[in-house]
Amino acid sequence: MKYQSQAVAKPYFIAALALFVGQIVFGLIAGLQYLYGTFLFPELPFDVAHMSHTNLLIVWLLMAFMGAAYFIVPEEAQTELYSPKLALLTFWVFLTAGALTIAAYLFVPYAHLAAITGNAVLPTMGRGYLEQPLPTKIGIVLVALSLLFNVTMTLIKGRKTSINLILVGSLWGLALLFLPAFYFPQDTVKASFGWWWIVHGWVEGDWELILGALLGFILIKMTGVDREIVEKWIYIIVAMTLVSGIVGIGHHYYYTGAPSYWIWLGSIFSALEPLPFMLLIAFSFKMLLARRREHPNKAAMLWAMGTPIMAFLGAGLWGFMITLAPAQYYMHGTNFTAAHGHLAFFGAYAMVSLAIISYAMPLLRGRVANSAAAQRWEMAGFWIMVLSMIGIALALTGAGIVTVVLQRAAADPMPFMQVQDKERVFFWLRELAGVGFFVGLLVYLRSFFISGEYEYAGEMKRALAT
Amino acid sequence: MQQVFTKAMARNIFLGGAVFFLAIYLALTYDTWQRIPIRDHADQMTPAVLRGKYLLDTNDCIGCHTINGEGAYFAPELGNVYKRRGPDFIKAWIQSQPTGVPGRRQMPNFHFTPDQLNDLVAYLQWLSNIDTNNWPPNIQG
Amino acid sequence: MNAEASAIRAQPLPGDFAIWIFIFAELTVFGVLFAAYAFARSAHLELFNAAQLGLNRVYGYVNTLLLVTSSYFVARASLSIKAGRSTACGHWLVGALGLGGCFLVVKLAEFHQDFAQGITLSANLFDMFYLSLTFFHFMHVVMGMAILAVVARKAYAGRYSAADHTGVETGGSYWHMVDLVWIILFALVYVIH
Repeated sequence: MKYQSQAVAKPYFIAALALFVGQIVFGLIAGLQYLYGTFLFPELPFDVAHMSHTNLLIVWLLMAFMGAAYFIVPEEAQTELYSPKLALLTFWVFLTAGALTIAAYLFVPYAHLAAITGNAVLPTMGRGYLEQPLPTKIGIVLVALSLLFNVTMTLIKGRKTSINLILVGSLWGLALLFLPAFYFPQDTVKASFGWWWIVHGWVEGDWELILGALLGFILIKMTGVDREIVEKWIYIIVAMTLVSGIVGIGHHYYYTGAPSYWIWLGSIFSALEPLPFMLLIAFSFKMLLARRREHPNKAAMLWAMGTPIMAFLGAGLWGFMITLAPAQYYMHGTNFTAAHGHLAFFGAYAMVSLAIISYAMPLLRGRVANSAAAQRWEMAGFWIMVLSMIGIALALTGAGIVTVVLQRAAADPMPFMQVQDKERVFFWLRELAGVGFFVGLLVYLRSFFISGEYEYAGEMKRALAT
Repeated sequence: MQQVFTKAMARNIFLGGAVFFLAIYLALTYDTWQRIPIRDHADQMTPAVLRGKYLLDTNDCIGCHTINGEGAYFAPELGNVYKRRGPDFIKAWIQSQPTGVPGRRQMPNFHFTPDQLNDLVAYLQWLSNIDTNNWPPNIQG
Repeated sequence: MNAEASAIRAQPLPGDFAIWIFIFAELTVFGVLFAAYAFARSAHLELFNAAQLGLNRVYGYVNTLLLVTSSYFVARASLSIKAGRSTACGHWLVGALGLGGCFLVVKLAEFHQDFAQGITLSANLFDMFYLSLTFFHFMHVVMGMAILAVVARKAYAGRYSAADHTGVETGGSYWHMVDLVWIILFALVYVIH
């Protein structure tokens, strides 16, 4: 840690991991409700578990991104953060608002929540990922403004590296792309069309820029490769992201009432969306091979190398599987999408968050890297979580295949609930893999409680002895 | 000449590409905005339809169901449910929830009034007439 | 001088290497678009042949002439700067820009007539492809003109010389690509029946 004010990242990272645990718990509950529909009913209906699961995902990723920004921007700008106090205040506001919102989901019926939060005045509720009541949405905007003010002022007074420009620029993009959440047209087709500005704009556009900036920063720090080379690669990768991804949004417009031409435009451009992820893999491994130092934080390196591969699998490969219009005709709105969503969110955004946390947390705790024992726990957590998530994706893909065969493409199509019954085995596999993931998460968290720092001399001796 | 491919060049491609495709997307969106009201019969969005839509939103129906494939995959598609089940079945079904059948997925009872049920059905009927390029592939959604 | 000579030998493509990556990416996208057009056309041959008659080919011929001539101008600009004549290079580029501007005017007039005839993105598959492809290309002409304008300004300012004129060749390469794509597009969409 080079600047004192970078320390404000620490509470963000800790809260992110705590919320991550919450997300997985709700995921396990929702997964079990697929198998036992009466589980926790009526206290916790599926939709509440589901929205808690997805909203916690978004909140913890935002927490991690914000922590990353507070950690990276001062270091890149080579100056203290503009206002560490504001950053801390913002943290508590965000955490409280997030916790209150989840509590409201759990204890207040949704329609009642809408009634008491002024949804009738400005309707915003009842859309996927955007279930938050109006006050929470306004709170998110205020938190984002505070973050943007803080990092932008820091950037202005400091060094303007490309990593910093991309990171701060994409945080502005993230905030701007959230604004359509306040625009909920009464026309359902228009509402769906505009909903994707936020969802696609984030996960298949702007967030890929954040991912590029975070990964670029980690690789510069850990491999010691020349900044010029890393930043040039990052620019090319994010250029490919936007070139393919902006019109690629059309793959959400095939069957939701938008005009037919999106079938062609969306198919053509979204088919190119895996390219930036392929470039990301090429880039990461090129940097690894060209490294000029051996960083003792092996766990962080593992996360950094795992991210592009898993992102390619989830976003690139699983995304491509459902992106072409003729395939999506049968796969749209099935567990194929859920499989893609799980693997892509985890592989790209959860993993890059865990990568920056893995790199930064030891520094925030006053050491270059954790002890070898702690790193072994962390890397075990990595493998268990990665393999479990692949298991979840495969199980959901299996469920998707059953839906396509029995319900979508069958000559004598079966009703939805009958098909769901045939998929029980896959829902079981998903739940088991989910439990595996949870175990991996606990193993990962265990690593934080093993004290001590990396001992060069001791590790060297051990390496020579074997 | 040594540095044939500079960072400045890469940055220009990024910025140029972003602006370029954003312009194309905005032009396409403008056209789409003109077309949508025709494809979804926006002129038939009566006050009852809009009230029904508000009920669907504020009860988080897409937290379990899908509308034209968007939402959660826990419960059946609603975009064509009007054509699949018809108005009377839908009303009776909503009123009879939850089934309480052990182990079966449960839908809460939302205590809708008869007027609200009519509004819901009006919205579901409007939904079922949107031109979605013949999706879903069959009546089962 | 020696180092430079060897660098030139090692780099057979004129202009900045990045623009060639860019051009390659562009050609890939256009290639995919053209392939999609061919695929759709083979599936709906009668529709495509009938709808194609609705286009006014005169616009297309005029525009082809304009772009080919402008490419010639850009080539002359390149020759001028190699001979060390910056001002002449600038003049040729401005000429090319003028022709590009004429292309845009003609194309807009054609779009105007198309819309009056009821050709829209949603009218039929052929019209969808025709409008998408030509509009996508139209935007590339705008982009190419922006690049040429920057190069022309630098040329007038004397920033290029017989020894160092990568910028002119970079901008020129992009412009030739825009021209090339139009020629294929014109043949594919307006002519082949």
